[in-house]
Amino acid sequence: MISANKQIRAARYGMTIDVDRCNGCGACMVACSIENNVPPAHEGATDRKGLTWIRVYKVDNGEEYPNRRTAFVPVMCQHCGHDTPCVHVCPQQAVDVDPATGVVGEMPQRCLGCRYCVAACPYHARYFNWWDPAWPAGMEKTLNPGVTPRMRGVVEKCNLCHGRWHAAKELAAAAGKPDTEPVDYVPACAEACPTGAIQFGDLNDHASLPAKAAAEPGSFRLLEKLGTEPKIYYRSKKDWVRGIAAAPRPGAAGKETVRG
Amino acid sequence: MKTTRREIMMFAGGSAVGVLFTPAPWRLITDTALWSENWPGIPVPARGEIRARYTNCSLCPAGCAVRARCVGDQPVALAGVAGHPLSHGALCPFGLAGHHLPYLPSRVKQGPVKEAAAAVADGIAKCGPAEYIVTLDLRPARTASWTYRRAMAAIKNGRYVTPSYDPPVAVDFAKARTPSSDRSAAVDLAKAPTHPSDAWMAADLTRARTPSSDAWMAVDLTRARTPSSDGSAAVHLAKAPTPSSNAWMAADLTKARTPSSDRSAAVDLAKAPAHSSDAWVAVDLARARTPSSDASVAVDLTKARTVLSLGVALLDGWGTPGNVIAARPGFRLIQAEAVESRTASMADWWLRIRPGSEDALAQGLAGTLTRAAAAEATGLAESEIAALAAELKDNGPVLVLGSSRLESTGRTIVTRRETPVPAEWRKAAPVTGLASLPDGSIRVLIIDESTPGAYLPWKAIEKKLVADNPVVVALAWSREGYGRHAQYVLPVGVYPEVAGDIPPAIDSVAATFRISTPLVAAPGGCVKPEEFIAGAAGLPLTDTLHERADAIHKTGRGTLFTYADAKSAALKDISAEDFWKALNAGGCWIDTPDDKAAVARLAPTVAQPRSSEESELPLAVVLSQELTPASPILSKLYQESNLRLGPNRVALPPSSGLEDGTQATLQTVLGKCAVQVTLDAGVPAGLVRVSASPAILDLCADGARAKVVRA
Repeated sequence: MISANKQIRAARYGMTIDVDRCNGCGACMVACSIENNVPPAHEGATDRKGLTWIRVYKVDNGEEYPNRRTAFVPVMCQHCGHDTPCVHVCPQQAVDVDPATGVVGEMPQRCLGCRYCVAACPYHARYFNWWDPAWPAGMEKTLNPGVTPRMRGVVEKCNLCHGRWHAAKELAAAAGKPDTEPVDYVPACAEACPTGAIQFGDLNDHASLPAKAAAEPGSFRLLEKLGTEPKIYYRSKKDWVRGIAAAPRPGAAGKETVRG
Repeated sequence: MKTTRREIMMFAGGSAVGVLFTPAPWRLITDTALWSENWPGIPVPARGEIRARYTNCSLCPAGCAVRARCVGDQPVALAGVAGHPLSHGALCPFGLAGHHLPYLPSRVKQGPVKEAAAAVADGIAKCGPAEYIVTLDLRPARTASWTYRRAMAAIKNGRYVTPSYDPPVAVDFAKARTPSSDRSAAVDLAKAPTHPSDAWMAADLTRARTPSSDAWMAVDLTRARTPSSDGSAAVHLAKAPTPSSNAWMAADLTKARTPSSDRSAAVDLAKAPAHSSDAWVAVDLARARTPSSDASVAVDLTKARTVLSLGVALLDGWGTPGNVIAARPGFRLIQAEAVESRTASMADWWLRIRPGSEDALAQGLAGTLTRAAAAEATGLAESEIAALAAELKDNGPVLVLGSSRLESTGRTIVTRRETPVPAEWRKAAPVTGLASLPDGSIRVLIIDESTPGAYLPWKAIEKKLVADNPVVVALAWSREGYGRHAQYVLPVGVYPEVAGDIPPAIDSVAATFRISTPLVAAPGGCVKPEEFIAGAAGLPLTDTLHERADAIHKTGRGTLFTYADAKSAALKDISAEDFWKALNAGGCWIDTPDDKAAVARLAPTVAQPRSSEESELPLAVVLSQELTPASPILSKLYQESNLRLGPNRVALPPSSGLEDGTQATLQTVLGKCAVQVTLDAGVPAGLVRVSASPAILDLCADGARAKVVRA
C-alpha cells in the first residue's frame, strides 16, 4: 500500500489477450504455477478443486462441422477496477486494490477461508487451497524464492506476479529511480506465451502496447455489463467470441460449450 | 469471603461468553492462518544469489534454447532465449517445467549395472552366426548415436536400429519428371536374380508393361533384396516409357532396404522422360536420406504460401514451435484431421476427414484416386476436395505435411547438409530398421530410452528376440516404457542432468549443433548410456561432443549464436577452445545456408488393409502425442483443467454413453488397458482420442480400431 502523503504516479497494470493468436498450448498456466509456487495437483484434485491462477478455456460456437469454430480463452483474475466484488465481500480485509498499481491483491495470511470471494467473483478466477501444498521429494528445491507458498484453507489467485513487481521495484531503487514511479516488468504468463498473445503493461501509459491494443476495434472485456471495469482486455475479430464474452459465463447463455 | 463452586463455574461460563465479545478469539483464528504458513509441511524456498544459466532443451528434437533462472546452482524457472534464430524465444509447457524432471517420483535411481554388463558380455560371447547384438536408439542422429553405431561396428553381428528406419535412399529430384501413360509398369523385384556381393540390383523398366489404363507404375521394393552383403538395390527409371498423362510413377522406397549393407538404394529420376504437367512422381521419400552427400531433407516453412497438414500437429509441438509460430503469418494453413485438435482449431480451414484417410485425400488431390473414391474414403464432399485441389494449384508454393511423408511445390522441401563428424567415425554400423532383422534373431538388445523419442510397440520387438533367454537391457529414467519388459533396467540421467547434443529439427534448413548442458548433477547410481554401450563393445570412450565440436570448427563454416548476449559471430573468427566453451555456456552453431536442392513432390503410400477382427471394433483411434516424461506441474493442464489429455486417458464424444471420469478399459486386437474417460465435444462419434503413453502405444497406432467399455 502506498501512504497517502506520497505523490505517486499511479499505474494501472493490465493486459490485452489476443484470442485469435492463442493456440491453447498451456505454457502460460505452467509458467504461472512455477513462478508463483502453485503446487502440482493433489491426488484428489479435479478441474473444480485444482489451483490454476490462469486457466485456458476451450470454447466453441456450438455449431456442428463444418460451421463449428473454436477458440482458446485464457482467464485469470480480471483485476476489477470498480466495485471489485471480492473486496466487498471479504470479512477479513484480505483482499484489496493497490492504488499504486491497480492490482487486486490477496493476502493469504488474513484469509479465513470463508470462500465468499470465490462465490462473488463473476469470472471464476479464485481458487481455494483444499490441501496442504506438497511437491514430490526434492522438487521443493525448485521453488521460486520470491514467492511464499500458501497454506491449506486459504483462497489464492493471480496477482499479476507481485514477486516480479517487487523485484522490479528493487532494481529501480538500486538504479536510483524514485519509488513513486511505475516500473516495467512482465508477468510469467506474458513472458512464456510463445505466440505473443498476451501483452502486459501500464494501461495509463497510452504509448504501451496493451493500452493501444485495448483501444482498437475488436477489443472487449469479459462481462462488461457488470461494470466492474476489468483491467484484462481481450481481442478477437470473431463476433461469436465477443458474444461469448458477454454471457454470464462461457457456455451458459447459448448452445456453445466450454472446456477448461 | 468464601468462593463457592457454583460461583467459580458461573465466572468461567461468563468469561467464556464474554471473551467472544472481545477481539481476542477472532484474532486467534486469523493468527492460526499465520502459524500454519510456517508449518513443517509448507516448504521454504531456497535463498541465494539469483543468476542466469543457459542450455538447450533436449526433450524433443526442437532443442529450444533455454535461459534458466537459478538460485545458486539450482534452476528454479526456465524461459526461452529471446532473439534465438531458430526457437525465437519460445518454450513449450513441457520445456518450461523441464527442471522438475530430476525429481519425478517414478524415477529409477538404482539398477543392477554390474549384472547387466555381465549378461551383455555373456550374450555377446554366445551370439550365434544368425543372431544379432542390437542397440535400439530412440533418438537417432545424436553424437551418442554415432558412438552406438561405432560400438555396433566393433561387435560381430552388431546392429544399430532406430524406430523410424530411414532407408538410405539417394534420389536426384532436381530433374524429376513424371512419366505419363495410360499404362503402368509393374516390376516385381522379388523375382529379380540375385547378385554377387558389391553388385547392384538393377531393374530395367523398359520392357515392363501393364496394359490397363489408370494403372500405376508400381515398383515394389519391399521385396527387393540383395542377398549378399554390401549390395544395394537400384531402380533405373530412365528408360521407362509411359507416354501419356495422368499416370503415376509410384516407387515406394520407404520399404526399400539394404539390410546387410550400408549401401543405399538409388533411384535416378533425372533421366526419366518428361511428361505432362498434371502428372506426379509419387515417391514416398519422407525419410529420404542421401548419405553419400551428407544431406537430409528439411522443410522450409518460410517459402510456403499454403500448408496442407495431413493430421500433423503443426501448431502443437511439430518441428521447432517458435519457428513455426514465426512463420505462421506467411502461409494459409489447411488442416485435414479427424478430430478438432489444437492445430485444427487454429487452422484457416479445417477438413474433418475419417481417421487414417490422409493418404486417400492426397491421392484424390493428385488424381491417382478418383474424386468420388477419395470422397468416400475421407468422408468429405467431392466439391470440398475439388476446392482444395484448386486452392493448392492457385496458391503455391505448397507444402504438404504428413505424419511420415512430405510433399511440396517450389522450394519448401530442401536438402540439408548433415552436421559434420570426425572422419574416423564414418567406420560405423549402418542405420537399420527392426523389420530387416529376422524373427527370433536378437540375442542381446540394449535400448537407449534416456531421451524421449519414437516408440516401437513391444510386440514388434518381442518377436525379434531369440527364444532362449535373450538379454534385454533398458537404459531408462523410469519403468513406464520398455522398463516394463526388460530384464535389466539401468537408471540414466534425465534432462537437464546430462550433456548431449540435439540434432536439427525437420524445419531447420541448415545443420545445427547445440549442447544440452547439465544444470544439475545426476544421482550417483545413474549410468551413462554411451559409456555402457561403448564398454560392452570394448570401444575406448572419449569426449565425443568435444571431438565433434572440433570437427565442426575445422570446417570454418557457419555462425555461432551465443545466448547470454544474443549475438552471432562467424565461426572462422572464433578459436576452437572458445567455440567449445561457448557451446557449453549456451550457444548454437548454425551452418552456412547451403545451395539447397529443392525436393520434388513426394506423395504418400497406400494404407494397409485391416484385419476382419479389427474391423469389428467400433471406434477409430486418434493418438494424441504428449511428451513424456512430464513434470507433475503439467497436472494443471490435464487434471486440474481439461486443456490436454492426461496419461492413460481417452476422450470420447458426449454421446458415447459414458460419463466424465468413468474408469474404463480400452480394448484393441493387441490387448487391453485401464483408462479414464474424458468427454469432449470436439471428438466426433465413432472416434476415440487416446493419450499416447507407452502402455497405450503397445496396443494401438493412429487409425487402429478399438473399443472402450466401462471397467
